[in-house]
Amino acid sequence: MQIAEPGESKAKEACKLRVVGIDLGTTNSLVAHVADATPEVIGGDGGPLVPSVVHYAADGGVIVGRPAQARAIDAPHDTLASVKRLIGRGAKDLAGVRAMLPYELVGDDRAIRIRVAPGRLVSPVEVSAEILRELKARAEAALGGPVEGAVITVPAYFDDAQRQATRDAGRLAGLEVMRLVAEPTAAAVAYGLDRGQVGTYAVFDLGGGTFDVSILKLVDGVFEVKATGGDSALGGDDLDRLIAMKLVPAVGELDRATVGAAVAEARRVKEALTGDAEAVYRLALPCPETEPGVVHKSQPGATTCSWCAGGAPRSVIEHRVTRDDLVRIAQPLLERCGKACRRVLKDAELTKDALDGVILVGGSTRSPVVRDYVAKLFEREPLRDLDPEQVVALGAAVQADVLAGGRQDVTLLDVVPLSLGIEMMGGVVEKLIHRNTTIPTGATQTFTTYADNQTGFDIHVLQGERETADTCRSLARFVLRGVPPMVAGMGRVEITFLIDADGLLKVMAKELTTGKEASIEVKPSYGLSDEEVEQMLIDSFEHAEDDLARRNLAIERVEAERILAATRTAFAGDAALLDDDVRAAGEAAMRELEAAMAGSDHLAVRARIEALDVATKPFAQRRMNRAVAAQLHGVSLDDAARKVGA
Amino acid sequence: MANQFSSNGAPPTGGPAPGARSPVRGTAGDDPFSLLGLAPAYDVDLAALERAFFERSKQVHPDRVAGAPAAERVAQLSRARALNDAYQLIKRPVARAEYLLARAGVTIGDNERLDPTFLMEILELREELAEARAAGATELVATLQGAMQARRIQALEALPPLFAAGDLAAIKDRLILLRYVNRYLEECDAALDEDRDEDGRPRC
Repeated sequence: MQIAEPGESKAKEACKLRVVGIDLGTTNSLVAHVADATPEVIGGDGGPLVPSVVHYAADGGVIVGRPAQARAIDAPHDTLASVKRLIGRGAKDLAGVRAMLPYELVGDDRAIRIRVAPGRLVSPVEVSAEILRELKARAEAALGGPVEGAVITVPAYFDDAQRQATRDAGRLAGLEVMRLVAEPTAAAVAYGLDRGQVGTYAVFDLGGGTFDVSILKLVDGVFEVKATGGDSALGGDDLDRLIAMKLVPAVGELDRATVGAAVAEARRVKEALTGDAEAVYRLALPCPETEPGVVHKSQPGATTCSWCAGGAPRSVIEHRVTRDDLVRIAQPLLERCGKACRRVLKDAELTKDALDGVILVGGSTRSPVVRDYVAKLFEREPLRDLDPEQVVALGAAVQADVLAGGRQDVTLLDVVPLSLGIEMMGGVVEKLIHRNTTIPTGATQTFTTYADNQTGFDIHVLQGERETADTCRSLARFVLRGVPPMVAGMGRVEITFLIDADGLLKVMAKELTTGKEASIEVKPSYGLSDEEVEQMLIDSFEHAEDDLARRNLAIERVEAERILAATRTAFAGDAALLDDDVRAAGEAAMRELEAAMAGSDHLAVRARIEALDVATKPFAQRRMNRAVAAQLHGVSLDDAARKVGA
Repeated sequence: MANQFSSNGAPPTGGPAPGARSPVRGTAGDDPFSLLGLAPAYDVDLAALERAFFERSKQVHPDRVAGAPAAERVAQLSRARALNDAYQLIKRPVARAEYLLARAGVTIGDNERLDPTFLMEILELREELAEARAAGATELVATLQGAMQARRIQALEALPPLFAAGDLAAIKDRLILLRYVNRYLEECDAALDEDRDEDGRPRC
């Protein structure tokens, strides 16, 4: 590691490009940058993590992150979470999870869209772009100027279609995507630089929706991926769903909103069990009377009844869940991780004793259940001294700095995660590039005609490990015509695969007797076409100002609603502390705020929120004084705080 | 698909059939050994090879020229590709041996004759594997795989003395045998992967 003179570093800093690293996660996303040769995350309201949630409001506004998350309960259909699971995927891939998603998918095997308010169809690429735009805006506010480039991380096990789609999302968000980097590789970079680790490490990365395991060798600034494996549809979300399925009978038959609530409660219980030995799962089911078609079998002793707010009977499911229960529920998922780990060790031709350490990455590795499993699997205590939720973004920021001409002592040697090949006559796949080959790479192979007088070659490009075309992922098809009529076996075509440093594929075919050529930048059958992305870009430029204004308005409205509700509750609850002047002023301010909310000027809404705050200040002050007095009289701080809390 | 006249009168096209496999599977035009600063020889110190690869990667990695004009970036990309492919080739003993044999003017075609005794044996072993696979007998597949891995090691261990003696014909025989062995091992892997898929979802 080089330590530059402070003055020199300042001068270098000034002429450097403003670049960032982005961890676009299933559950949370965050952005980081390098300042004075040290990567750091960029904070915001409520910390650096931006929930990967996008809310589409009825008026066309779009909200991202924490405010969007707040809308998940009242508007589950228009509030999209975990969209990373859908990116670069077709309907066929999603058959398994579809029933458990709270929103509506439409589409075919090529691409899917999500139906949101107001009657709009959005693609997972567009939704991801909204999250990236939010992160970009955050970074620009923090760094004081436009972001000139970004490194975006993807799960190591993402295939070509998923990588292309992620790159498209970046473009759509107006980012210059300098490089896509595998998440475990980025994490290893952060660890390697921070801790000065040298040796061979396994990175166990369990996020919200994806699982990766990579074996890396770290030597003198070189980070070589030996092998990578995993499952791009396995994560903490799946555990939430498993818990919900275990505890709520016939959860699949419930309406989307209740399914959403069941899964959200499962997540809460899971998170509670990170610190506590047991937690209570509690879910109110919809009134059976209003939904005669749904029968809820109640489990003796587990289901109790109460009354919902409207007075109609409502059954409530209640379960005491211990950490041991969680271990049992999680077992099948953990086994899948374990198999991937054993396989990746085999691919790297290593045994687990040859490892120098195991690094934990991803929010799901916070769970002691997962940590214990990893410790047992690798027979050693895993490393988790860097925040598992920030480490990927930190590594991505380092890589962005490298690409922007900053530090030059880091070299990443990544691999292609899944084999690439073409379909042969009869449906068998011939692999041209095997998984775990270091990128960039290429391969050339010659093929012959199968039939007499065959005048063309159907080139079908596939990705996957299985032997037949129908069990691998189809990436592209094209035809090379113009082969002169010949006896079978005489016509020859030379096929070349080239993979660049992002792991993206280009295929070329050349007929050898005539020299006729065809080539294709593989645009996966599952992604968006270039034209579609172009059109979206044009649309987004045209509407950029509108979008920004609508977005700000939507955010202010959410905030306004929250404050109005809190003020009304406090006025009703503590009427005794309210003198007439303050009440009149407060009510007038509330009316003005409501009027501003009906308009379309976000600045007006913000101004009215502030005015309401000023108008109710004396009242708030009195409530605070009372709480302090109560505290002095021996009322517990908790009670007092509850009275103060709006 | 394929091989039929389509309704719009387009000429028949078809999927490709297996053709001649070039001895060098990568796109590296240059001598892979010289790219890594090594003399072309079968005996390779793998630790030294890795060091040489890392040192050169630092120079020719695409990241080094990220801000350079497009032409320079394209050139660097092919340099990096050539280096990576050279490393993959030299690292793997069979690929390395095939390359050295081709350099000496001996190529291995797709329909090479195999020692009849071994041919009979491998046919029987394949049948046994196919049956084990169909029956889902994972343990038997693993046993067959283990036995074949032992043969692979045996065949590889025979190579260095043959290279030292310059016995190209004998090297060629071993390499043909290794092709069958490797294909068999790939089938074992596929069979074991199938087992893995049963409890989860298909891999691709």
